[in-house]
Amino acid sequence: MNKRFAIAAIAFSLPLGALAAPETYTIDTIHTSIQWEVNHLGMSNWRGRFERPVGKFVLDRAEKSASVEITVQTATVSSGDHDRGSRPRSLDEHLRTPDFFNATEFPTMTYKSTSVEFNGDKLGTIAGNLTLLGVTKPLHLNVENWNCGPNPYSKKEMCGGNATGSFKRSDFGMKYAVPAVSDVVKIWIQIEAYKNQ
Amino acid sequence: MRELLHHPAVQAGVAPFVLALIVALALGRARLGGLAIVAAFATAVYLIADFNFSPLTVTRKIILLGMAAPIVGILADFAFKPTRAGGVMLALASAAATLWVFWPVLAQRETAQAWLLAGTVTVATAGMVGFSQIFLSEHPIRAGSAGLGLGLGAGIASILGGSANYATYGIALGAGAGAFLLPQMLTGRKIAAGTTFVLPATLTAGLIAAGAMVLAQVQWYSVLMLALVPVAARLPLPAKAALWLQAVLASLYTLIVAGLTCAIAWQLSRGTAG
Repeated sequence: MNKRFAIAAIAFSLPLGALAAPETYTIDTIHTSIQWEVNHLGMSNWRGRFERPVGKFVLDRAEKSASVEITVQTATVSSGDHDRGSRPRSLDEHLRTPDFFNATEFPTMTYKSTSVEFNGDKLGTIAGNLTLLGVTKPLHLNVENWNCGPNPYSKKEMCGGNATGSFKRSDFGMKYAVPAVSDVVKIWIQIEAYKNQ
Repeated sequence: MRELLHHPAVQAGVAPFVLALIVALALGRARLGGLAIVAAFATAVYLIADFNFSPLTVTRKIILLGMAAPIVGILADFAFKPTRAGGVMLALASAAATLWVFWPVLAQRETAQAWLLAGTVTVATAGMVGFSQIFLSEHPIRAGSAGLGLGLGAGIASILGGSANYATYGIALGAGAGAFLLPQMLTGRKIAAGTTFVLPATLTAGLIAAGAMVLAQVQWYSVLMLALVPVAARLPLPAKAALWLQAVLASLYTLIVAGLTCAIAWQLSRGTAG
């Protein structure tokens, strides 16, 4: 009887143990993107994006801890103006030069969390460091609409949400055309990630 | 005032020219008028970037060399007599400096492309430095005209290649060379150029053009064409003509070659898929 009880107790506790363990999620590059916004000439807000960031996060919902790591190819920066027409360069090409992202010399920028705060059961704020143009500075992200659960079609476990933040590009040495192109850059990250099997 | 200093024409042209003119007038008699070109370049760096050298990027290496070049120049002018061997040594040192600036970036490219670009930037920069040191450094009008053509050529080609910062640095060099020439044209008295002027002018302009090629979209043909600017400054001038006329003619020669550099950059940029 005691032996049966012990086996039942072990079997019952297995899912709890699995739930308590940190879970690693890999970013779904198709459904993850980073949008940016700067003000142009004090007039309009100019928006663009980076395509297909890669990365992962580790989530321990029982312990309410997490870590995030995202890498972006700077050459994927896009303003929507990629066709030169009769001009010597498009805006996207200009964004890749040393005036802005210097994509040849610094092909990636990365974000790594240093601490995460939960809001109830969900991610709330992420403190971390952004490395851009070889300079690393703190960047705080506010997470909204964070949800985890199975993909309704594939049934794979996934998490997703939106994060927002802002930084001064001059802090990273990107001083070209400040203030005509605003120093403050706002970013929005829409992120989806699947649990590693 | 602050808005004025943010204007690209002030950052690239007016402010560097004014500072360079002050230096040329103040130090001309001390054989240091050549520092005018460094004053112009430093003004542009101050206005659009900073003198922070960490991390040591390609652009910051160019700025560092642009600031170090006049020190070498002053040493060469005051401690040594100008010789051909000295010019060759400066050319070789410039080639090494150019590889130091660009090789970390070029090494990430395919081997054939890396060698083509490395060869172009090294030959162009070393050629400009060596030729100018040997044939132009003792001729302030020719040297100033070469600086004018190199600066404006590198600057305008950089605009076409996509980098406004590099354009600002190049045009500032041109403004500095203009400020070096102007007092000579107005007074009819020469200001010594020497290595103090020639080395910063040619090395910095060469590195700017090379940077716009490696990091933006200036083509290697354009950089090689720019390297012919000092050769144009060597074309015959009427020896007995007034200095202002010699300066106008020499500048015309160099600006034609600089114009060809920009025309190639313009044509090729239009012909390349965006």
